[in-house]
Formats: sequence, structure tokens, C-alpha cells
Amino acid sequence: MHNFKLLIFISVFLFMSACNKNENKVYEVQNTPSYGDNLNKNKAKSNIEYHSILTTNLFQKPSSVNELTRTDRVIQSFGDKALINEVIIGNYMNTNSVRLPSRKRMVDSTDLFIEETYVRFFIRKPTEAERTWFRNYINANKSNPNFKPELVYTAFAASDEYFFY
Amino acid sequence: MKRREFVKKTAVFAAGGLVVPFILPTGRLFARTNTPKADHVVVVIFGGGLRQQDSISQRYLADSQGFNVEGNILYNILEGAAPSSKIAYGTTPAGSPKGSQPIPKLLSQSIQKQGTIFAEMRAISGGHYGGLNSVMTGSGVEGQGLKVRPVNPTMFEYARKFGGFKATDTWFVGNGIGNSTPLLNSSKHPDFGLNYGANFFAPSVTFGGDGRATLANAKIYHPQEELEPMYKMKNFLDNTFNIKAGDIPGIKNTDEEKTRVKDFIDETFRRQMLGQIPSPPVGGGDSSTIGYAAEVLRVFKPKLLVVNMSNIDGCHSDFTGYLQAMHKADHAMGFLWNYIQTQIPEMSGKTIMTFVPECGRNLKHNPILDENDWFGYDHGDANSLRVFGGMVGQNVPSNLMVGSESSPIGKVTDITLTVADILGFKDEVVAAGIIDSQARSLFDRI
Repeated sequence: MHNFKLLIFISVFLFMSACNKNENKVYEVQNTPSYGDNLNKNKAKSNIEYHSILTTNLFQKPSSVNELTRTDRVIQSFGDKALINEVIIGNYMNTNSVRLPSRKRMVDSTDLFIEETYVRFFIRKPTEAERTWFRNYINANKSNPNFKPELVYTAFAASDEYFFY
Repeated sequence: MKRREFVKKTAVFAAGGLVVPFILPTGRLFARTNTPKADHVVVVIFGGGLRQQDSISQRYLADSQGFNVEGNILYNILEGAAPSSKIAYGTTPAGSPKGSQPIPKLLSQSIQKQGTIFAEMRAISGGHYGGLNSVMTGSGVEGQGLKVRPVNPTMFEYARKFGGFKATDTWFVGNGIGNSTPLLNSSKHPDFGLNYGANFFAPSVTFGGDGRATLANAKIYHPQEELEPMYKMKNFLDNTFNIKAGDIPGIKNTDEEKTRVKDFIDETFRRQMLGQIPSPPVGGGDSSTIGYAAEVLRVFKPKLLVVNMSNIDGCHSDFTGYLQAMHKADHAMGFLWNYIQTQIPEMSGKTIMTFVPECGRNLKHNPILDENDWFGYDHGDANSLRVFGGMVGQNVPSNLMVGSESSPIGKVTDITLTVADILGFKDEVVAAGIIDSQARSLFDRI
């Protein structure tokens, strides 16, 4: 009988001690976009990956599989891959469906334009040095009417970093 | 002289000694080791597997199909009378039997009369890939996988490293993008590689339907107002992204060269629309490849251009088509030589053209019959190592035949060293110690 009472006592004790008041903890986590850097980009995109991503960036939709396969064959048929990609980019830029920021945005909101371009193409924010260089360069070319966002986009699309992920 | 001054001057001279060679154009370190024999070289790979009996031996159908009909169907290259019966190697006029119209001779004097023929050379491999590799690299290495760059340096890399040439000075015009063809413009050798590779394109793709849809509408930017700032930004971006040069696919042209090549692409599409691309009178297939090679010569006047033909490989299953392709390849090569001499003043009289197939074909036929009931021929046996080649142009002895069936002279690996000899860096290629140890310049075989 004594043992039975002891057992009940222990069970009640354990039951009571296992129950705690549930505290609602608020950590106040903010949604923040995560950007990488260029240090770990060491895998080359295939021709098809590169152009699929590029056309998505320029036209807001990727090319069809047929177009990508055709583009891949043309790149294979040329020795200087960077050069032929520049020509293909020039081909994209000559279509009506390419979507580019306005020159006004580039000139009036230069810092924002630079940051958006880096995020769009490199999936990262510019470093202070990069931001400063581009700000100065865009400002220095304000008087050149041919200096348009198209040229900035072409430079980013043809850059080595854009070939890698 | 004070100690500090002495140390300073010594350091300056030592640094100068290290830096000066590298600031010479394109990294050339030494003076040419032999006097160049010509300013330009054109190498024609008479490719696809050319059977010795049907070509230089001029046996036509006698050693292949059992008919006693002999004759020369390569009469732009070789001296000799054409076959007199069973004519199937020509074109097909409407309503006439297939191949019954031989293509008229294009050159007033055959290559044999104008230059030197090596009647019995040896190939390294009885296969296309090993054969092409051996011609392009001068190396006897056969064993490497398909769809990879050659293990050993190509003639382009020797030319650019030892000759100090720009990328646009060296071109490889390929017959397509199949197998390893687009990878033969550069090796993966650590001391050479893509930094010394040649420009390459395959006209059937680059300027065919795919190329037209992908490239022909490209915007042409103003060189100073647009391209210059674009390249300035691109170069800044590239400098902030430190990837090893070897990790970037493809060969490299300078910004200035890129602009020239882009103009070439644009102009070629335009000239194509106007029917202005040079072409042998009888076109199609390899002739088209040769036409675009002529276009590169016209525009860039390169130091070294290699063009690859391959249509004669149809011999596996179509002997008649093989004869026609061989006859057409002779016509195309005659056209190219004539074009250089008559249409490109900067190269006329200053160019050597050399040619060789990458391999021969088998002694015995396979069981495949074509529409004339003629047997096909594969390649891979000892007979496939029998080939002939030649060269023509400045400083090449004329009307000379070297070697014979009983006395083989020359190897396909000689071509790389011959190119080096012509352009003036033969000893450096030999000293690099990578090419076939038995290879010689064809000039040294005479």
C-alpha cells in the first residue's frame, strides 16, 4: 500500500513538473534579401544556361528550347566565345521586346540604377569601390547621348562574372 | 658609386631584364630562328580519308572496283590524263547520267607543275580524329578522347607564341562542329593553350541558317561613342572578378580585333545576301567552306590559315559520291590557290599553300554497294596510312616529285614543322620537344 501511494505521488509530481506555461517568444526577425558575393563564383555556365538566364534578364522570359539549342550550336561554331556572345547580345538588343531602364533613370537615379543592375546580373550588391567607379563613369558620360543603359547592360551581360555562378 | 646607388641601379637593370621581353609584342621573347620562306601559309586538309590508289596513283576504278579504267581526276593538283570511260566523278547536268560531266580544269598549270608533290607520305593514324590531331599538332600522340582539345600544342599556338602573331593572324575554318573539329584551334597544353589559340568558325553553322537567325541582326555599335565605353565598363567588371584566364572558355581577341571580327561577321552576312562570297565555280559542300576561307584571306590576310575539307569521307557507303567529292575538292583547292594569286595582292607571291589528307583509306572494300554497284571503302588498315601531300608558292621548288611507293618520304606530322619553317620559328618548335621526333620540315625532305 505504501508503495502504491509512493508511485502515485511520483506520477503526480512528474506530471506537474512537466507542465509549464507556454511563453510566446517574439524574436523580431525582419525579412531581408540575401545577396552573395563574387568570391565563390567558380562554375562556368553552359551556353544554354547562360543564354536562358540572359534572355530572362533582358526579355523577362527565357528563350524557347529550340532557340537556345540553335544559339548553342552557333557558339560552338565560333572560336572566341566572348566575342560571339557579344554579337548575340547585340542581336538581342536589336529586338523590340528587350526591356531596358530609361536613360533618365540611369542619369537621375544613378546609385539605384547601379545597384539594380548589379543585383539583376550578378545577384549581389556592388561594393563601395564598384559603386563609386560606376557613379563616376556614368556621370562622366552624361554628355555623350550614345551612352545608354543598353551599353551598361551589354557590358554586364558580356562580363566574365556573368559567365560564372 | 655609393652602395645604395649601386643596389638601386642593379635592381633597375634586373627588373628591366625581366620586364622588357614581356612587353615585346604578344610576348615574343627571341628573334626568329630561321629566315621566313614566305609571309603567309595556307594549309588545306584534303580531308576525310583519301585513298592513295584512287588519287595520286591515278588508278580510278582499276584498284577499287575491278574495272580496267585508270586516270587522273585531280587534274588541278596532279599531271596526268583523265579517265576515258565510266565517267562518274563529275557533276550531273539535267537529263544526263549522274556524275557524267567532269569539272573543267581551273588552273592553267597544275600544283605539281608549280610546286612540289610528296608522292608517298605516311599518316600517323588511320582515323579522322587521330589524323587531324597529328596534322594540327605535329605530334604522334594518338590516344586521346573525342570532344576534347588536343593534348599537345597546335600549329596556331606555336605560331602565336613563337611568331608573335595576333589572334586574327591565325584562322581555322572548319567543315562543321561535329566530333572535335571546333576544338582543334587550340590545345589544353599548360604552356600554350587558349591564350595562343586561333580564331575558328564553321561556315555551315556560323553563316548558315542557325547563324543568320542568331547573329545577322546584331546591332553595330559606334567604335568610339559606344563600343569604347562598353569595353571600358566590361574591362572594369572583369578586373574586379578574378577568374583564371584558362577558366574562361574560348580564345581571346583584343578589343580592337573583336571590333574587326564583328565587322567581318556583319559584312559576311551582307555579302552573302548579295552573292558576293567567293566561291569555286562548282559549289556546294567543301567548296562552300573553301569559299569562306577565301573570304577570311581577303579580309584579314592572316599569317596562317587552315581549312578542313571532309566530303570525301562519304566513301564508306558511296564510292561514286567519293569520286565526285574528290574531284570537287581538287577544283576547290585550285580555286583557292588561284584566288590568292589573282584577288589578294597582299598575299600573291608571298604565300605558300600546303596540303595533305589526315589519313588514307583501306586496301580492301567493305560490303556496301552504291547506286553504281561500286563498293565502299573504310579506313583504319595499313593502307590508310598511305597518303600524299604537297606545297606550292614562294620558295617552293617547282615541278618536283619527292618519294614514291617504294620510297616513302614525309609524314603528316611534317606539316606543323613546315609551317614553322615557312614563318621562321622552326628551331623553337623543335626545341619545345613536343612534336613527333621524326617530323621534319617538308623543305628538309627535298
